[in-house]
Amino acid sequence: MQWIAQGFIFRRITSPFHQLDPRVKLLVSIELFTLSLLVGSLPEVIIALSGIFAIASISKILRRISRTLTYTLFFAIIIFSINILVGYPLMDAFVIAVRFLAIVGSTSIFFLTTPPDELELVMKWFRLPRDIVFAFVTAVRFVPVLMMDALQIMDAQKSRGLELQKGNIFSRFRRFIPILIPLIVDAVLRSGDLAEAMEARAYGAVKKPTSLYQLEIGVWGKVATILSITLIVPLAYLFLFLM
Amino acid sequence: MECEYISTLHIERGMVPEERKSNNGLIISFEDRTYSYLNCKEPAIQNINLAISPGEIILIAGPSGCGKSTLLRSINGLIPHMYPGNSSGKVSIDGSSVDETSITEIAKKVGFVFQNPENQIFMFSVERDVAFGLENLGLYHEKIREQVDWAIQLLNIEKLVNRAPHELSDGQKQKVALAGVLAMKPRILILDEPTSLLDPFTALELVEIIKKINQNLGVTILIVEHRLDLLINAATRIICMSKGKILFDGEPRKVLTEKKLPRIGIGIPTITRLHRILNEEKPVFGKIPLSADELATNLKLILK
Amino acid sequence: MIEFSSVEYRHPNGVLALRNIDLKIRKGEVLAIVGENGAGKTTLIKHTNGLLKPSKGKVTAFDMDTNDESVANLSRKIGIIFQNPDHQIFSESVENEVKFALKNFGFKEEAISERLEWALNFFDLERYRTTSPMLLSGGEKKRLCIASVLAWDPDVVVMDEPTVGQDFIQKERLIKIIQMLVSKGKTVVIVSHDIEFIWPLQPRVIVMCGGKIIADNKAGKIFQERELLNKARIVKPQLQELSEKIHGESSGAFSNIYDAKQWVISKLKSD
Repeated sequence: MQWIAQGFIFRRITSPFHQLDPRVKLLVSIELFTLSLLVGSLPEVIIALSGIFAIASISKILRRISRTLTYTLFFAIIIFSINILVGYPLMDAFVIAVRFLAIVGSTSIFFLTTPPDELELVMKWFRLPRDIVFAFVTAVRFVPVLMMDALQIMDAQKSRGLELQKGNIFSRFRRFIPILIPLIVDAVLRSGDLAEAMEARAYGAVKKPTSLYQLEIGVWGKVATILSITLIVPLAYLFLFLM
Repeated sequence: MECEYISTLHIERGMVPEERKSNNGLIISFEDRTYSYLNCKEPAIQNINLAISPGEIILIAGPSGCGKSTLLRSINGLIPHMYPGNSSGKVSIDGSSVDETSITEIAKKVGFVFQNPENQIFMFSVERDVAFGLENLGLYHEKIREQVDWAIQLLNIEKLVNRAPHELSDGQKQKVALAGVLAMKPRILILDEPTSLLDPFTALELVEIIKKINQNLGVTILIVEHRLDLLINAATRIICMSKGKILFDGEPRKVLTEKKLPRIGIGIPTITRLHRILNEEKPVFGKIPLSADELATNLKLILK
Repeated sequence: MIEFSSVEYRHPNGVLALRNIDLKIRKGEVLAIVGENGAGKTTLIKHTNGLLKPSKGKVTAFDMDTNDESVANLSRKIGIIFQNPDHQIFSESVENEVKFALKNFGFKEEAISERLEWALNFFDLERYRTTSPMLLSGGEKKRLCIASVLAWDPDVVVMDEPTVGQDFIQKERLIKIIQMLVSKGKTVVIVSHDIEFIWPLQPRVIVMCGGKIIADNKAGKIFQERELLNKARIVKPQLQELSEKIHGESSGAFSNIYDAKQWVISKLKSD
């Protein structure tokens, strides 16, 4: 349980890719995503995957992305088996399954390298309403907090003799009630506190709040943008029409 | 009565807030304020009269449920704006009525640090969180930067600027929460049991910071705290509440002599209690001590 | 009764939270665990009923190895009362909240109602019997939590920061509850940084710092050592400060204000 809580906590890593403007990271991620969608043969799959792993290794997230992909493998296998059952040739089924992995990998690159506060800036840049952006930020911010609360509640109830592992599925579900109720109450109390604190710090004073940080693409951002586009466009053309 | 007359007069004339300021030099005033929450028959605070001058450090004490929190929330406008209820009387901040001023407008003058620091940190980095209030006010980027850096320096948390909330200890979280409030340069700072989750050393550190803010910046401070011993030396005034009313209000030494305090649920410091039972035995032990030092000096003089 | 032998605990995220803990908790004693936030106090007490299992070393409680026993079995003997009442209250009535653990532990119907009556009476919660516990005040919720644990009559009672958020009246009640437990021969373990609260109990004190036990002695001795206290970021009790100011450093302090008064009055008479 504690291990899961850890998984939700964003880790700040410094790498050349992390330092790029979040919009550039989003662009690269979208490019890789598009490439993965267009994949149709084994060499193409290899190109797309190596692109993803290259970026992952620059960003020092190889281990984390591999872990995500290991979980995804389960679904990939299901996709593979269904395709075989439906009657696709072995190679085609394989490519389709691996393409799924590539799609997941390309999206995780953005989420694993972009801290939530940068994500918030990107959302603002897309002119999403302030309330929605803030709701998102708060949700992400409080996931680990509520996870820790859940652990404490479980400790308290286990100390009062609650045994979660006992019984059949139905009675097990019932055993979670003493954990769920305090957790919900706790979340409600926290949100009340948050609402007060927001008001006390002038939330909603002006229509368009400003920001401490401003998005700036910078020299490396421009280089990365140009480089990635010049690489992707011919590749996509190749995938679509030639290979 | 006079105060009330003057301020209503000004409102009628529709003067701008700056010109209304001369409220007998008071920064906060309660005039016969009574307030009850919706669906609650009993008023949470009752006939509160209070006059606070700029620069005071006021300790508010009382058992749980005595109306302390309601009192504090009546100052920064959460009551009545966020919690509408039945109220009578008047609260003014800097001469303008809380009932007629929006919370965001009050937020520029009144900083509020809540009990649980976890629930008042919104952003993923300390720096961003300190900027939160200023961003909300729509200040220019450069101005935000300046005030954020100022607050961070004031609280000595330069090392933490890039940390995420879950990478902070409880004491650090409380400092970050305080920095976020101070960055808005309030004239009044309210703290609701800020040390309840901290160990005594960290709590003392926080008290020192609060004193510094008061002395160097002239910020008026109101602080609710169960542990009187922590703040008794810093406070210029203690207000004791019970059942929604102010029972005692005055300098610490004067309030501590009140016999009723333990009965209404206000614990006085061990040293003061000792002094009290000594004086009951033989009234020769002089003025009420605020620290072990003071009592020791007293005793040495008497026992020599 | 409870014994830690060279216990080490590593969090799943790799942080070493307990190092080389050797500790014997004896029957009938009051044990206070002090130290700054994050020193490992809560991690330590979670080992007593098996909520956490040691990464290295061994914890035995009532001759059971906590590694082999279920938390429920251990909790029957060792009741932990956690800091935040909102983290355990879930029933629709005060009555059911108290019954929850009794049912979990398989008490018989008559025993349950008998224990329930005792708990509601002793903790002055009788009039709230059918009230929703969520509507109680902070102090009442705390009492309810204590009642719901003491109802099953554990031999060891562990309290994690019992005074946090509690006012003077509640603290006085807590002291009375602890004294009652001691008089019944129970073992009481208190984790707290409220030194003024634990001082009058004159407990055995364990000082923790960075996951280690750096001192283990009677309260009277521990609070004389300024260097030790500074290291663990603890302040001295006021009565200790007072007696040091009068008698000089490292002198024994008055254990409560009445002792201090006796001393002053007798001194006054002899002068």
